[in-house]
Amino acid sequence: MHNPLDHIKNKIYHVEILPPKQESTKLLADLDVFKEKYLRVMDSGYCACITDNAMGLMAFQGHEIIEEMNLPVHPDQIMIHLNTFHTKADLDNILRCCKNLGIESLLVITGDGSDRLPKLQPSDIDESDIEAVTSVELLRYIQRVYPDTFVLGVAFNPYEPSDHEFAKLKRKIKAGASFIITQPIIEQNTQVDRLLAEYPNIPVTVEAWMSKKLSLLSDAIGYKISEDTQFDPIATLEMLHQTYPQCGVYLSLVGFKTQYDLIKNLWI
Amino acid sequence: MKIVVCIKQVPASNDAKIDPQTKRIIRDTVKSIMNPFDNYALEEGVRLREQFGGEVIALTMGPPAAEAILREAVALGVDSGILLSDRNFGGSDTWATSYALAKAIEKIGNVDLVICGKQAIDGDTAQVGPGIAAHLDWQQATYLMEIKRKDERVIRTKRLHENGYDICEVTLPAVVTVVKGINTPRVPTLKGRLASLTADIMLWKPEDIDANIEQLGLSGSPTRVVKTEPPAPRTSSTIKIEGTPQQCAKELVRQLRLRSIV
Amino acid sequence: MITKTEIEKANFRNVWVIGEVEDGNILPVTHELLGAARNLADKRGSEVWAVLMGNSIQNPHLFAFGADVCLLVDDQRLTHFIDELESKILSRLIEKYLPEIILCGATSRGRALIPRVAVSSYCGLTADCTQLDIDPDNGDLLQTRPAFGGNILATIRSSNHRPQIASVRPRVMKIPQPDNDRDGITIFEKILPTDEINNKKVVDVYHDSQSAINLADAEIIIAGGRGTHGKAGFELLRQLAQKVGGAVGASRAAVDSGWIPYTHQVGQTGQTVQTKIYIACGISGQIQHLVGMQSCDLIIAIDKNPDTPMMQMADIAITGDMFEILPELINEINQR
Repeated sequence: MHNPLDHIKNKIYHVEILPPKQESTKLLADLDVFKEKYLRVMDSGYCACITDNAMGLMAFQGHEIIEEMNLPVHPDQIMIHLNTFHTKADLDNILRCCKNLGIESLLVITGDGSDRLPKLQPSDIDESDIEAVTSVELLRYIQRVYPDTFVLGVAFNPYEPSDHEFAKLKRKIKAGASFIITQPIIEQNTQVDRLLAEYPNIPVTVEAWMSKKLSLLSDAIGYKISEDTQFDPIATLEMLHQTYPQCGVYLSLVGFKTQYDLIKNLWI
Repeated sequence: MKIVVCIKQVPASNDAKIDPQTKRIIRDTVKSIMNPFDNYALEEGVRLREQFGGEVIALTMGPPAAEAILREAVALGVDSGILLSDRNFGGSDTWATSYALAKAIEKIGNVDLVICGKQAIDGDTAQVGPGIAAHLDWQQATYLMEIKRKDERVIRTKRLHENGYDICEVTLPAVVTVVKGINTPRVPTLKGRLASLTADIMLWKPEDIDANIEQLGLSGSPTRVVKTEPPAPRTSSTIKIEGTPQQCAKELVRQLRLRSIV
Repeated sequence: MITKTEIEKANFRNVWVIGEVEDGNILPVTHELLGAARNLADKRGSEVWAVLMGNSIQNPHLFAFGADVCLLVDDQRLTHFIDELESKILSRLIEKYLPEIILCGATSRGRALIPRVAVSSYCGLTADCTQLDIDPDNGDLLQTRPAFGGNILATIRSSNHRPQIASVRPRVMKIPQPDNDRDGITIFEKILPTDEINNKKVVDVYHDSQSAINLADAEIIIAGGRGTHGKAGFELLRQLAQKVGGAVGASRAAVDSGWIPYTHQVGQTGQTVQTKIYIACGISGQIQHLVGMQSCDLIIAIDKNPDTPMMQMADIAITGDMFEILPELINEINQR
């Protein structure tokens, strides 16, 4: 299995790619765009990160697109998000397919629900003492059913009350997480500083917000950013590299047309 | 078992925004979706076919764009879709809608079971399911939380009512309506969705279902909407309570007493 | 289409209330409907008939609540709800007595029964009305009902058809003060062989033991959402509900998490409620939830986040932790 630390050592960006939405009216075109982006990330030697019904909006799963479109899988160049809004049958199917395809990296998150997304129940994964399945239980389940198959990562949210978030992180690490990805930050963050101090041996990747629209970020993290904040994603990315040289970087909403060529030589 | 699932395309809203003046929801109906209850009806139909074999057909009446939900139904596992779409169907109330759907079901032929969602979220009437049963003169069972097969001709259903539920055995052919608790609907797979893009969706007109034009659409509808208006504003302002838990509790009780409630 | 002429329409008279009978007891929705029916009949100068179908119906003489005539079908074959049997009987009685207006409860039973009747009698049916009025000259029923989850009020007429049928949302109309001096006529009707159904039967009936008071009957609902965090949180809601004689409701998120059964869900894919008081605890207020409870008289929201849609819609918004506030609230109520 690949070592998540290599992404940082070898300056490999994590590049988020959103899969086509279920409600898309131009699915074939969307699939082509997805393929183009995916192959471009492969060519750059970066790691493609495919979301799982992000924000509760129904989309197709990464593994099924890779299968359907015969996309190449390099274990250290792909990461799949996996959340707790699946039926047991779907969850098992996703894990089985990922294993068969040679996908190793999973970012295990609690995720967002919706009317149409079924929530994994505690009894599905033989948990009895909990009220609801979170990423912790999902991690435990994957470790139990597929030992030594996946490299599992978890999310860290610097905008949540910190003691609560650090206690949660402790449980996630105990449950088998071996790398951490933060929510997007746009400046130096004291919670991330504390994270790096408390977990010096676990690879930490900070998420960089590559869209100019900060309002979307406010919505995503539930923390208000002043509307008139001037925001230059590329400059911010450079700043993050300087501030957190020991961290990897996860790029969300990167513009493949406008930004992709500009980031090539930023991580030095 | 030959099963028809009746579905409807309804307007949907995304985010809840509250008008600060009226305290009512500001509605933005930007997109159309399949009526949420119909997902449970479709899933139940597909599950029954998976268990007992047979065929599941999705049926809807609506504008040409309603074809989208039939494709969605195919992606979810039904075998085919039929769209009733024609000028003459327009303006139907629940009487005329259930008449048209019943005629289509007769035309399909040899149907054992018709499944509908409990109600549609736009009209909220819950009348079309029983209406179809009445037009066909079939048995019905409404608000089902469970459908089991007792034998070739009889289903055993769990009917939800206000104080609990009953177990009701119904002889086929029958029309049933289902509630959310009956199953967990699957999410379409990419394979299913791709297959649905090229699936044949049949378009039926009044003449295809031998319907009496007089009983369709506006002319067949006994009811007329004569006025629509927004509901009265809820309240002019929100009373905000903050402080220690004890202060909050005391203030709430005081507020309730002001309204002679406690 | 089969419309009725003015002369034909004149043959239809009186306002019928289809009562709801369970285990021989007449349910309160019947009395609510009688109040509404009395009001319409008085404006029109006609009679109110209470139609009761059941087995061993207790105290069926509803004259004190405004009925002039009680039409009874009391038969052991009506012990359980058989939609087809009741609708056949009712359709036959309509043909026999020609009512101008029929009201029935928008309950699980009424909503199953009355569309069958409307179809076989080819007459208009308006579901889930919250206001009724009548045009005294021609007898047209003005039926107002919420649609789109209560965001639009539509007024509906069925001028060319008789009878006019409306199902009425429970707990919206007031039960009239009983007047024990009122008297009336009782008519007994039978099940005819042609009404009978032999291919449907109710095998068993279960009452929900989880909540003594159900959502539809409650005056107060204490509802929990994601912020209730789990079964323990709902236990707290249950304690408060017990204290105030209310029912426990829930958002979809809480139901989908398995904290409470689906029968408690309020909202688009659950139930629409219209209670005197709705206390939302840790419910942010997705639109699908709001449309199910926005018609409640008094909405109280308790949430840590003061900016949620629910807190904005609420009449009283309490910013704080429900786990701290609810025990204090129970204390306060205990002291009274």
